[in-house]
Amino acid sequence: MHAATLPQSGRRKPWLSHDDSSAFILLLPVAAVLFAVAVFPIIYSFYISLFDLKLTRPHRVPFVGLDNYFTVLTDQHFWDAVSRTVMFSVTSVLAISVIALLVALLLNEDFPGRKLLSAVLLIPWAIPYVANALMWKWIYDSNYGALNGILYQLDFIDRYMVWLGDSDKTLMLIANAFVWKEVPLAAILLLVTMKSIPADLYSAAKVDGANGLRRFFHVTLPALKPGFMLVILYESMMAIRHFDLFFILTEGGPADASHVVAWRIYVETFRNLSFGTGAAMSYILAIATLALSYVVIRSLGKRV
Amino acid sequence: MSKLPFVSRRQFLKSSSAAMLAGGAGLSLPMSARAAETIHFSTWSAAVDLVQSHISAFEAANPDVKISYSNAPWAQYRESSITKFVGGAPMDMLWVSDTWLPEWAEAGWLAPIDQYDALTKYNADTDDFSLQSMMYGGKQYGLTYYNDYIAFLYNAEILEKAGIQAPPATWEEVIEQSKIIKEKGLSDAPLMIGMAQESWLVEFLSTLVFSHGGRLVDDEGNAVMADPQGGAVAAATWLKSAVDAGVLPASCVETGELACLKSFGAGQNAFTMVAKYRLRMLNDPAQSPAAGKIKQALMPKGGANGTNETVGYIRFYGMTPGAQETEERAAAVVKLMEWFGGKANGEYVLQKLLFKDLGLGFATKSLFDDPEIRDGYSAFADVDLVSKQQSLARKKDVIAPWFGEWNDVNGTAWQRVILGQATPEEALKASGETWDKLKKSA
Amino acid sequence: MATSSSTARRKRALMQNLRVLGLAIASLVFLLYVLAPVAWLVSSSLQQEAALTSVPPQWIPKDPHLDNFRVIFSADDQERVTYETRRAADPASGGFIPSTAKNLLPAMGNSFIVSVAVVILNLLVAVPAAYALAKIRFRGRNASVYGILITRVIPDIALVVPFFLFIRNLGLLDTLSSLVITYLAVTVPFSVFILVSYFEQLPDELDKAARVDGCSRLQTMTRVFLPLAAPSLVALSLFAFLTSWNEFLLALMFTQTAASQTLPIIVASFTSDFTISFSFINAAGVLAIIPPVILAIIFQRYIVSGLTAGAVKG
Repeated sequence: MHAATLPQSGRRKPWLSHDDSSAFILLLPVAAVLFAVAVFPIIYSFYISLFDLKLTRPHRVPFVGLDNYFTVLTDQHFWDAVSRTVMFSVTSVLAISVIALLVALLLNEDFPGRKLLSAVLLIPWAIPYVANALMWKWIYDSNYGALNGILYQLDFIDRYMVWLGDSDKTLMLIANAFVWKEVPLAAILLLVTMKSIPADLYSAAKVDGANGLRRFFHVTLPALKPGFMLVILYESMMAIRHFDLFFILTEGGPADASHVVAWRIYVETFRNLSFGTGAAMSYILAIATLALSYVVIRSLGKRV
Repeated sequence: MSKLPFVSRRQFLKSSSAAMLAGGAGLSLPMSARAAETIHFSTWSAAVDLVQSHISAFEAANPDVKISYSNAPWAQYRESSITKFVGGAPMDMLWVSDTWLPEWAEAGWLAPIDQYDALTKYNADTDDFSLQSMMYGGKQYGLTYYNDYIAFLYNAEILEKAGIQAPPATWEEVIEQSKIIKEKGLSDAPLMIGMAQESWLVEFLSTLVFSHGGRLVDDEGNAVMADPQGGAVAAATWLKSAVDAGVLPASCVETGELACLKSFGAGQNAFTMVAKYRLRMLNDPAQSPAAGKIKQALMPKGGANGTNETVGYIRFYGMTPGAQETEERAAAVVKLMEWFGGKANGEYVLQKLLFKDLGLGFATKSLFDDPEIRDGYSAFADVDLVSKQQSLARKKDVIAPWFGEWNDVNGTAWQRVILGQATPEEALKASGETWDKLKKSA
Repeated sequence: MATSSSTARRKRALMQNLRVLGLAIASLVFLLYVLAPVAWLVSSSLQQEAALTSVPPQWIPKDPHLDNFRVIFSADDQERVTYETRRAADPASGGFIPSTAKNLLPAMGNSFIVSVAVVILNLLVAVPAAYALAKIRFRGRNASVYGILITRVIPDIALVVPFFLFIRNLGLLDTLSSLVITYLAVTVPFSVFILVSYFEQLPDELDKAARVDGCSRLQTMTRVFLPLAAPSLVALSLFAFLTSWNEFLLALMFTQTAASQTLPIIVASFTSDFTISFSFINAAGVLAIIPPVILAIIFQRYIVSGLTAGAVKG
């Protein structure tokens, strides 16, 4: 996108200012990289989506126009996957925001041990998603897992329960694993916003006789708005595209209980080897996320 | 400008993107190099130690050939193999399931072996079912690794404690007996069948359908699974009734064959169905707490048109077109395939070891006369029953080039029935429509 | 009067105690939430298979052992399996150490090579871009910033299809290069973003002074701004490294053999095989967690400043 803007700006003027040309040179590497690994694939993806490309049938690749898009958009399973993705993302982002706010409030206090907690907070953020998935899979294991173990020992359940295999619980359990990993980043973003709230706002509120709770609702929360917007934007992008946990925890199952759009693209592409419809689905997802981020950025009203 | 990386080193290919990628190739790290004498052999993670020992013996006998052996879980084997085929990863010989043959042969991922007399000479000693299962489009695609069928197993001790005289003869009786067992507190989940979405699922489902007197697909290749009077709907209805009766836990949809085996082997269930060879492990005290109590019964009949039929299947050694790239390479792979699927040093070494260690069935007719094998069977199974059920084994009817894609949809459909998200009729209609659609577009 | 002030003091002391108690409870809940899952994983990796499959679980290993780790670190000098030394059991009966265990350390090596290459390329590409975006007034500047950011909004999964065909056509499948190239797409926009925010904080006068002294743009960038930007260079290196180290989806698509598989791929391959010893899988998980967590804790300071660079200042 921006690769296109540079030459264009040059064309409109008869000459390039010295600054323009040196900026152009300095930006060339990044432009080349991003063109190759982001812009070009997106264009190529659209091109592929116009063909019925199936790798199990490599010799016959008919051009089908927008047929793949019609196929995808009229497929009830796709829309089911969309609604599961929305459900997963909304739940996750809400939970992340609330838990991160609590964590940020705690770490905003001054007390011995705060440093230690901040270090510990980075652990979920740093570990690979694969390790996170493996860890939760083992916790949720219906025969030997820790979740059953602890609920059983605390007498909340009288026999071991099925967790990921229960289609009513699957999506929320995966969301829980996702939230655990994402809370640290969100908490840090909120914490930094909190620290940037001018102290005189609080003293003014104190003079007005507002107690702690009122100060929280009338000063802290409104001031956190930019932080929250950032958290919501970033985390919803992460949730919509998330794949790793679905791959390791459930593979879309049981039945299709955790069949989200990202998983569906994977199955269509790498299991069914239908690269044409896979590309069409990818394109729809890309446009949808772009539109969503545009809306969020606009409502934020400034550069993120 | 010359000081900027990428710009100065830039080789202009077709587009700036290609140039970038070439820049990446410049720093190229280990490529998939393929030395002429290294044969790549991949399997699913079964019989791992046996395969390794047989490779060691091969390498000792053929010092000029090196084997690079890798394995992946059976549950994801089709997928990981396909990724390798599509990506052109080095692979010469691999284990193949009969189910995948049309798809893989059509896509050109497997190469016929008809031209190698060293391999086809074993056809005379191979049972007909297995030979047919390795043929596609009139060509032969490999040598057998093993063959077997899905067996109905029960825990004799639990039945005895429940006061049940004889194992169930029908699927309806399976539910009735399970209810008694559950009421007496002998098992929480008297019946366990691995219904997780993995490679075994189609075999278990087909068994249920066959024993309900039905077919998924008719001889002309048309989907008949949705026929309301057909065995498939009856089988799915029975599954749902087993879940509703509380004897088959709904968690079976996340229970793979291995998890099912672990629980059955621990004595937690009274009935299950798994591959017959698992009897060997289940009745081995060193490997299974329920050893000695596990017995086989004829596959129960289901519904009005029920039969004792089950699913028979084979797995075999296949060869990729890449293996035939050069004469030397092909010769080495043929040698290796004979070593595994035929005779090694003049004897069926591996087949006998597979039987001895794991109880795997074999397609080699002459081995049935081997005294060691005859003795071996009686140690863990009832030989007469084994062969009676074997004569009632039927090939899966869903073997087609579009199997892989249909299988995902079909598996989900059956799981939806179990979870109560769809009626058997609805689910099988969806599965049948997918079959027809795929068949038409093929 | 005196009484009321002492009530106030008592009230204040009470509030103070309540605050301490509240903070203590909150800290405890926090630690439990974050550490309990990890602790359980570590504990599981040290237990014997039998202890691991006991009901209810052993929370603290009674008889801890490091066998799983020993297997991983000594996998290379395993003896060849022969007919005599083979284990005759069905792998299904459990406690099975996969033959791919020996790939764990090489996979770690692969992850390391890829991550370092990605870091270097990030620095080479992002520094000039960020300098230009922050310090040069040129046409299309804002559009460029948005353009770079937008590439990050597109989900990786949507890039997988073209990436795969592209990498395959270039014959780069199953190479570490394919990962390095595609990871640039994931990391570069963020690197540029961190650096732009940082450079923008540095006074423009620095730039002008250097230019008046006769420095070219390139010299100004390398001699004046780079040394000052050290903290954010550390931050972006860390992010590029960790992102590459942890990436899964693209590696899953592009790598097929041990020659190029990274740590997450090998670890994930264990999780789907029910035959493999549970304690071994957990040990592999612990191994995958250790390097990034150590890095994160050492460079804590840079991470927080990097993550929040420019993000909140509006």
